[in-house]
Amino acid sequence: MTKKLMLMAGLLGLDALLAPLARAAGGKASDLVVVADTRVLDSEILLYFANLYNTNIVLFAVWTVVLTAAYGCLLGVVMDKLMALTGLDLTSRKIVEH
Amino acid sequence: MRRMATSLVLAAALALCAGAALAAEVAQGRCIEYDTAAKTITIEEYDTNFGKSHPYGVSTGMVSTYDVKDAKIGLTPEPGDILRIAYEIHGDKRAALTAYYDALGNKRVAIKVMNVTKQSLHGK
Amino acid sequence: MELMADSSWLYMYMPIAGVHIFWPGLVLIGFSVGVIGGFFGMGGAWMVTPGLNILGFPMAFAIGTDIAHIAGKSMVSTMRHSKFGNVDYKLGVVMLAGTMVGIEIGAQLVMWLERLGQVGPVVRWVYVGFLAFIAWMVFYDYAKAVSNKRKGLSGQHGTEGVTWYKALHRINIPPMIHFRASGFTCSAWLPIMVSLVTGILAGFLGIGGGLLRMPALVYLIGCPTHVAVGTDLFEVMISGLYGAFTYTLKGRIEIVAVFVMLTGAAIGAQIGTVATKYSKGYGIRLAFGAAVLCCMLSIILKQVGYTQSAAALILTTIGVICLYIMKIMFVGAARELREKKAGTQIG
Repeated sequence: MTKKLMLMAGLLGLDALLAPLARAAGGKASDLVVVADTRVLDSEILLYFANLYNTNIVLFAVWTVVLTAAYGCLLGVVMDKLMALTGLDLTSRKIVEH
Repeated sequence: MRRMATSLVLAAALALCAGAALAAEVAQGRCIEYDTAAKTITIEEYDTNFGKSHPYGVSTGMVSTYDVKDAKIGLTPEPGDILRIAYEIHGDKRAALTAYYDALGNKRVAIKVMNVTKQSLHGK
Repeated sequence: MELMADSSWLYMYMPIAGVHIFWPGLVLIGFSVGVIGGFFGMGGAWMVTPGLNILGFPMAFAIGTDIAHIAGKSMVSTMRHSKFGNVDYKLGVVMLAGTMVGIEIGAQLVMWLERLGQVGPVVRWVYVGFLAFIAWMVFYDYAKAVSNKRKGLSGQHGTEGVTWYKALHRINIPPMIHFRASGFTCSAWLPIMVSLVTGILAGFLGIGGGLLRMPALVYLIGCPTHVAVGTDLFEVMISGLYGAFTYTLKGRIEIVAVFVMLTGAAIGAQIGTVATKYSKGYGIRLAFGAAVLCCMLSIILKQVGYTQSAAALILTTIGVICLYIMKIMFVGAARELREKKAGTQIG
């Protein structure tokens, strides 16, 4: 059942893909390049990252992943502490999975 | 715990790398010429005074040329397009004869060229 | 015109995408995805990509930003559960190959569509199909639960379909691998193909993929449910981190938006997960299905050019469902604390 549905969803997606592509097939295709506009930034931190985006995308990508993961960890720890403070019983809740 | 230690070490390593990041300038303006043979782009620079009737800024009247030999160029620039260019100023490399230098002896080397006009027409 | 000038403080400049974004909308999306995801136990990331796109992010940026925020959120839940719990690491690693290749294929597809200038409409229409599928699943599940209850059957999940994996395990394409934690042997290609398909969808739509991976793990691969939960969390984390990396390399990420949403999501998720403790009945599932349909409708509105109405619809929908879940949580929590207090006074 699920497999059939997945197939159907896939076909639907494919159909949606093909229609505009048939139209676009003749057009030329080149990569879009984005330049962060550092002229309008005041914040030092934003300026640093926007500049990094323009000059060294690999380092920017490493920074993004590390910062996101680290911030996620930090939030996890902080939220754990906060929820413990509320005094609610959080051990008995069932895990709802779907 | 070990993950945290790992991320701390990584963060420290990154902090070291951070010093190595180059500073680049950004200019935006109307494309005057894209010379594919000489690999240069010339624009009329705009300022950051954005408004309803002038969403890309107002012309400063300054014309500048960029060496785009090693630049990543997006949708092909045509005269009249608004371009945003990230570039570095190379001041002390006068050896290359083909390159363009401004009055101060500086050469603007583009890293990335964004075609603001054409990109905004692209499907979002 | 003056009104525009006055409301400018409501718009935040995104330094990379170079767009001005209605930041209360951004906060609301982040917070809601946390509340709704926490409550229903599935990522809820399906509303982020369309939401960001409707708020004004170019589609590729919306996908990249969504996937990065998933990576962060999976770190939050990993930290909160301290460990992954029941992960079949062998299965997880085998699936990683498929997941990562899938994510990359999905991301490349997005970039290719962007080059053709078609990424917005195509991803939006695929989303419409995808959300219709989710809504159908939710309503079908609800109808089944109601009819089971009427027939006096207990158990929330039906047993139909449980045996598909038995047939799939018989596929004998080497290498055959024994997964001890899950307790079965099958061709390595089965989990790889499943993870490849979910990976492509995850990379293309900017979702965690758990929505499809979880049922696939249980019904197609034959994992025990508790192992499926842990293994899925592991996959989401890795695929999120890889997705974030590859989308950043392609320059399609807005880091400011990631952090704003991540903060909102972390707070919202606490409210959502606690609310599950006090929620009874299936009625809320209908509300969820309705929210999915509203989200789908707003994508269509955006596609046909009514961006303002699309934004109003999607923000109102997620705002209302969020308030509803918060009400469940605060009422329930207040009662629990009151009872606890009364209990200690007696004791």
